[in-house]
Amino acid sequence: MPNLSAASKGNNTSHSIFRWLAGVIMIAPATLIVIGLFLYPFMGSLVGSFRNESKEWTLDNYFYVLETYHMDLLFTIAICLISLVLVLALASLLAGWLRLKADPFVEFLFKIPLFVPFVVVGHAMRVFLAPHGTMNSLLASTGLFNPDSMPGVAFSTLGLIAALVWKNIGLTLLLVMGAFRGINSSYLEAARNSGAGSFRLIKDMMIPMSWGTISVAGILTFTSMIGNFSIPAMLGDGGGSQMLMIDLYYELIYRQDAGAANALGVISYIASMGAAIYYVKKVAKS
Amino acid sequence: MSAGVELKQAGTPAPGFTGSIGRMIMRFVIYAFSIFLIMGPISSLIIWSFAEKWYWPHTLPQEWGMKYWARVLEGKMAESLSLSFGIALLVTFVCILLCVPLSYLIARYRIPAKSLLLLIFLLPQAFPQLPVFTNAMEIMYRWDLVGTLTGVTLIHLVGALVFSVWTMVSVFQSISVSLEEAAINLGSSRVRTFFTITLPIALPGIIASSLLVFLYSLDEFTGSLLIGSPFITTMPVYMYNSAMGYEMQTASVTGLLLMIPGIILLLLMQRFMKSEYMAAFGRG
Repeated sequence: MPNLSAASKGNNTSHSIFRWLAGVIMIAPATLIVIGLFLYPFMGSLVGSFRNESKEWTLDNYFYVLETYHMDLLFTIAICLISLVLVLALASLLAGWLRLKADPFVEFLFKIPLFVPFVVVGHAMRVFLAPHGTMNSLLASTGLFNPDSMPGVAFSTLGLIAALVWKNIGLTLLLVMGAFRGINSSYLEAARNSGAGSFRLIKDMMIPMSWGTISVAGILTFTSMIGNFSIPAMLGDGGGSQMLMIDLYYELIYRQDAGAANALGVISYIASMGAAIYYVKKVAKS
Repeated sequence: MSAGVELKQAGTPAPGFTGSIGRMIMRFVIYAFSIFLIMGPISSLIIWSFAEKWYWPHTLPQEWGMKYWARVLEGKMAESLSLSFGIALLVTFVCILLCVPLSYLIARYRIPAKSLLLLIFLLPQAFPQLPVFTNAMEIMYRWDLVGTLTGVTLIHLVGALVFSVWTMVSVFQSISVSLEEAAINLGSSRVRTFFTITLPIALPGIIASSLLVFLYSLDEFTGSLLIGSPFITTMPVYMYNSAMGYEMQTASVTGLLLMIPGIILLLLMQRFMKSEYMAAFGRG
């Protein structure tokens, strides 16, 4: 199927067959791996979510999953939305500040999370925020707090949010900063000369002018948070509500209910639709 | 309190002075905030990795030492470490081999059903990996690949290929076609043009992309946990296991070791980092 039509200048048939073969050899291996181990299993999870153990078509998986996990679904979306708002706010403020006062040190610091693996972020937050973790020890050592009355946030909601924000700040900052750097300095100087402070420059000029990039960053970050498995796997073991991916893992590994796991998977696909649409549009544009 | 009043009094005659003090305070606050936010969790890892004895409510460990570093580097961890690096090298090599020609084709030639091809390589970025990999695991069971090196390498390759096609296509697209046209007009063949003109210009981008692929494979957790267990324990899985067993020191040492390649890469690549490369990277 793949054919180098642009290169088909050679009228010689054996020559064009050779080109055609070369194209197939270049394209096929990588494409087949991605189709075989991503697209095919992806379809498999769609089909599997509508089937029970004896391969009959049914909606039971969805009834079961929604009944058992509707609170977890709301919890997951809430956690991701809160983290998303925090990440975007923090990234916009920092990017704005960095746009006005180029500061390589701060910029470098906030790029570090990009290269720290998710599992490590989860573990670091765990030792940092646990009831007897580093942060509480630090607070206790100031003598202002009673060490035994302090809350440990690691295994709760706040720990999850902190870890998700921490991991995603690098990428979001990079994206938003790219947009802010594209803003013509003369606009900012004009506003500055008519008396606008730094905060107003960020809030009333940079953010509105870069809204497109910020919303793309938001969509990509949100889907990455929804689909993240490593961070809640490291942190979320304290009872109460769980993230969706943990429920999925539990259904598959401990209850061995592939149908329910797939139904949870399909729900997570629906939550990721924003990113899918973004990528489809991107392909349509090119 | 009094310092603030004094500052204000001293500042009133010269408006520029309060401004610069304010700016300095602002900068100081941002520095303190950034360092606390970013280094706080990381420094906890560092402290834990050197703690031989640490009981609550001591602020710092009672006994420091290299015991866990030594233990970890001798034992099973060393195995996981070399395994992870081996897999990452293999994945990177296969990615370069497959993706350089493929990305060049996508960037330069009109291929039938090109948008379909692009979608195949873009959509995996959009969806969560875990539900897909659980189904891929079923397929791999059929081929007896679960718990094998081949299986883990393949599951790493899925994400790595997608990432590297995306970055390499943008590398090739950023090279002006006119350079290649000039070479072809002067009588060079297409293959020769690719190797003498395009490839040398694209090399820095290809190297950057490959380093990121290497890091992706080294850090990959979800696929390794599902496909690798119980026989193939990569570093992230090893770390997960020891953290779940409350071996805080072992997990912290592993975590730090996992961070080092990334930090080195960040120092090397600060300048070349483009957001479009990185968007593909923030997943796990």
